[in-house]
Amino acid sequence: MTARAGDAAPPGPPAVIRESLQGKYAGFASRFTAFAVDIGISLGVFILALAAVSFAATVLTGTGITWHKGDLWVIITYAAWAFTYFAYSWAASGRTAGMALFGVRVVRDDGTAASGRRAVVRTLALPLSFLFLGLGFTGILLGDRRRALHDVIAGTAVIYSWDARAARLRFLTRS
Amino acid sequence: MDPFERQRLADGRAGARREALAQAVTDRAVELVMSAVDVNALLDRVDLNALLDQIDINQLLDRIDISRLLDRMDLDDLLRHIDFDALIEQTDLGAIIAATSSGAASDALDVVRSQAVGLDEFIARWIARLRRRPYPGPPGPPGGRPAKAGS
Repeated sequence: MTARAGDAAPPGPPAVIRESLQGKYAGFASRFTAFAVDIGISLGVFILALAAVSFAATVLTGTGITWHKGDLWVIITYAAWAFTYFAYSWAASGRTAGMALFGVRVVRDDGTAASGRRAVVRTLALPLSFLFLGLGFTGILLGDRRRALHDVIAGTAVIYSWDARAARLRFLTRS
Repeated sequence: MDPFERQRLADGRAGARREALAQAVTDRAVELVMSAVDVNALLDRVDLNALLDQIDINQLLDRIDISRLLDRMDLDDLLRHIDFDALIEQTDLGAIIAATSSGAASDALDVVRSQAVGLDEFIARWIARLRRRPYPGPPGPPGGRPAKAGS
């Protein structure tokens, strides 16, 4: 159980995690990587859906459908799908798939579960944070409560929802 | 000097001498008795099982107010003094935790999340350094009120 001198340290929780982070405001890296994963998932599912539709059209009519990413209706359909993906996930459980992966979740600014209305407002306000070179995200880096512009508009915050201390204990048992 | 006062002083000195003598005699007597008694032999003759049989543990426990006892203990302070890392290294507690933990997927999740948190802290520390402010750690809700978090 005790690590021997000279052994390479296995990958695991960094030494900073000596307390449970549950309920603390989540940082930029966790939030950004979770969002990147969500974009990947939503885009991947959308492309698969388009391929399925094209395949079905080929089978039924004998003629395939060609998609162009610049088509207006493709953009509108993706925007509607992305809205549904984010709004439904935040309203149902406070987290998307990417957020679940990185152990963060959306709550109201008083710490209670985010309502459906706040989830919809947060989703609609999300594009605003990207304006002016992503100026709306600076609140995550500089604010005391690590809130982006869309968080302020929707009255929400993002917190860590996993027990980092338990993870560290598990890591110590393996090292 | 008043003759009565002189008498009281003489009585006081005599009393102190008597008390010191009595103390010395008692100490010596106890020493002699203890050296004469074989304590081990005495303990061998005591039947501890019979003694314990006469004690009603349930009745004893009924008389203890556990809630009051726990109220008087500062468990948070107690836990703060425990070095869990050292505890795990020295005991089989780690094996118990490992046995009750889930599998490889959970471990991979721990690693991914931990690395992300490490990066969060790295960025936050640098931002604080650039702003010439101290960084006390990840911020939480005001007043230490934890936000409700699931797993």
